[in-house]
Amino acid sequence: MSEFNVQQREHGEISVLDLKGYLDAHTAPKLEDAFQDLLAAARFNIIVNCRDLSYISSAGLGVFMAFIEEVRKNEGDIKLTNMTPKVFNVFDLLGFPLLYDITNEEAEAIRKFTEKRK
Amino acid sequence: MKWKRILALGGAMFLGVAILALDVVRSSVDIEIEGLLTARDILVLTAFFLLYLFLELSEKTRIEQTVKKLGLILVLSVVVTLVTTALLMFTTDISFEAKEGFLNPLSYKTVFAASFLNLGFSLLALLIFRFLRDLILYKRRRGTRRNLIILVVLMAATAASTMFLRPVDSGIVTSVLFGTAVIAMVANSFRLSWIVYLSKREKVFGLIYAFLLFGTLTVLNVMTQTGLLNQILLYYSHPLKEIVGQTLLFGNIYAGMAFVSTLFHLPTAEAFEKKTTEISSLHTLGKLVTRVFDFNELLDTVTTMTLQVCEAKACWIEIVHQGEGEEGKADPGAVYEYRSKVRSCRLRVAGLRNIRSEEIELLLPFGESSMRDEIFLEPKPVVVDDIAADERINTNRKKGIRQGSMVVVPLLSHDEVIGILYAIKDTEQGFFKDDVDVVSAFADQATIAIENSRLIDKSLERERLMREMMLAQEMQKRLLPQSLPIFPTIQLDAVSTPAFEVGGDYYDVVQLEKERIGIVVGDVSGKGLSAAFYMSEVKGIFQSLSRIHSSPGTLLERANDVLSDSIDRRSFISLIYAVVDTRTGKLTLSRAGHCPMLHVSGNDIRYVRPSGMGLGLSRGKAFSDSIQEETLQLKPGDSCVFYTDGLTEARNGDDEFGYERLIDCARDFRNMDATGIKQSILGRVQSFSANQSLHDDLTLLVLKWVGKP
Repeated sequence: MSEFNVQQREHGEISVLDLKGYLDAHTAPKLEDAFQDLLAAARFNIIVNCRDLSYISSAGLGVFMAFIEEVRKNEGDIKLTNMTPKVFNVFDLLGFPLLYDITNEEAEAIRKFTEKRK
Repeated sequence: MKWKRILALGGAMFLGVAILALDVVRSSVDIEIEGLLTARDILVLTAFFLLYLFLELSEKTRIEQTVKKLGLILVLSVVVTLVTTALLMFTTDISFEAKEGFLNPLSYKTVFAASFLNLGFSLLALLIFRFLRDLILYKRRRGTRRNLIILVVLMAATAASTMFLRPVDSGIVTSVLFGTAVIAMVANSFRLSWIVYLSKREKVFGLIYAFLLFGTLTVLNVMTQTGLLNQILLYYSHPLKEIVGQTLLFGNIYAGMAFVSTLFHLPTAEAFEKKTTEISSLHTLGKLVTRVFDFNELLDTVTTMTLQVCEAKACWIEIVHQGEGEEGKADPGAVYEYRSKVRSCRLRVAGLRNIRSEEIELLLPFGESSMRDEIFLEPKPVVVDDIAADERINTNRKKGIRQGSMVVVPLLSHDEVIGILYAIKDTEQGFFKDDVDVVSAFADQATIAIENSRLIDKSLERERLMREMMLAQEMQKRLLPQSLPIFPTIQLDAVSTPAFEVGGDYYDVVQLEKERIGIVVGDVSGKGLSAAFYMSEVKGIFQSLSRIHSSPGTLLERANDVLSDSIDRRSFISLIYAVVDTRTGKLTLSRAGHCPMLHVSGNDIRYVRPSGMGLGLSRGKAFSDSIQEETLQLKPGDSCVFYTDGLTEARNGDDEFGYERLIDCARDFRNMDATGIKQSILGRVQSFSANQSLHDDLTLLVLKWVGKP
């Protein structure tokens, strides 16, 4: 079974999660923990960088669903960036682009966050 | 066997009578025949040997009640002594006349008395010999048997050496042989291992018996060597007298040695007995562990045995609860919450012996106690020499607790404390190292038993869950259509295989009105039981709403309204819904986050993908706005492939089956009928992921438009 990893970076007020590997029902709890830690630390501006994410299953998608409501309630957002076409297709099939801000580049997502603050 | 015995006894009796007859004749007529006495000696010894054979052929008994046998020999010796004394004292004119070194009886009475007494002494000697032989050979070692044979040979040789001597003579050879025989007797008398295994009571009796036997045999030995009895035995047969006399002497020495040895063994008798009980208890418990399924009964056995073996006054066991599973089995009053800095857990008190939980609460409060913390921190046995003075016990300094000592032993499984075994004695400093060892051994056995019992429970539980899963699987199979409707214009075929026992895939075909049918394929996020529940909910919603809303888009919107209320916020359902007019071949499609439908029309093969987000992702307008409908006209020979992501995501290593391969399939198989297309696609997917089992549910539905017949 392929591995899955979450790395956290700080970018001022913004937290970036770098996902790597294979996100499915087995590995989803790792991402859930990462989100929980961010919410506990009251960090609601979250960028999820999917550059190294090779696969996402419906259980993986469920993780984003679980947290988006609370994040937005606190005037933050979860923005998704740098998806490979294959991963984007999974998000797209389900209609995620209608619900989430998905950008090609991380810098773009950061810019959107900072613009909003001004 | 029986006739041999009769033959031996008969022969001995015949010879005895013959010798008696010969003696009677001899005493009345003075006959001198060369070698007569030697021949007579041979007859006597033959008779003696036949008697020995007779006894040997009778029942073979293993020594089990040694002390009882010792008592019997003692009684026999005393009887022989008394009878002999009485006979010699109260019967007059038994006397001999010594002439030329021979003894001549002066009356017939003397001859009869000699025969009788010799028979008695021979029997006694034989019984004593047999008894001693059995004792000596008990738990024999190499050489034990050899030493005994040497003794027998020496005794026989001593007897044989007297064959040619006159009764009153004694030869130097005989004396030397006799001396050597005595040494062999002493050597053999060190074989006393049977004493060790006697119980304390038996040892006390053995001590008395051995002492009395020693005394009696001493008296008998003195009697046979002096006075009239000496003459009677010598007269009858010098070799026989040697054999009898030596056997009595051997018995005497052995009894003396046995007495001394028993005396020394007496103080350790108790300890030895205790060790024996320990071993047998552990053995019993070991056997029990593999047999007993009743947890409580087992704990009771453990504490009862602990009580017996280390002679403790009270005993109990505390089990650390692991899961909720065992809760039901316990007496509800016997589980206590334990909360301390070291450990928080639930303790179940069980196997109480001579102590009530109220008293335990006084000694070691269930809520928290430094004694238990000590055990949890450093799991090794703790001995408390004085309960009253120990600061870990009765920390509240309440009055009325018992005095004495205590041992506390952890039950360790994989370095984890799964329970604690306690034993209390009512004397201070009552537990020594060997007691602690015993209690530890019991604790180990209890640990094994507890682990065993838990494993059994686990496997029973697993079996139960398996059965439930099988049931769920059966139920779910019935949620999918058992057969698909048949139309003149449309061919339909479908298959759905769950990756696990139950899945989250769903497909259905409903007849809406006379000429329209609805086809739905869906996938619930996640797998297993929760997915299966949502799936059955989807079926209910679809079955009821499809007949009300004729537009696929509207149906999806309503379905989303209903589902959003009940669905977990991290779950969602993808659905594709097509309404087909069986008269015209018009197909209207809506999609809620599901894999697009593949439309095959000759060489024109494309995915039909109207926009629409998954059910349960959002509600109200956001959802409604996302849903679109797409309509297409089917031409004869066209086919539509509906599927779930289990198909496109079927894996072979890191490679996925994907959308391109599905298009290739559709192209290759486009001229087949619906069943053929379904089978062929499935076959390709299966051979693609040959080495791997499905990691997701897979559903495939094929529609083929035949057109007007």
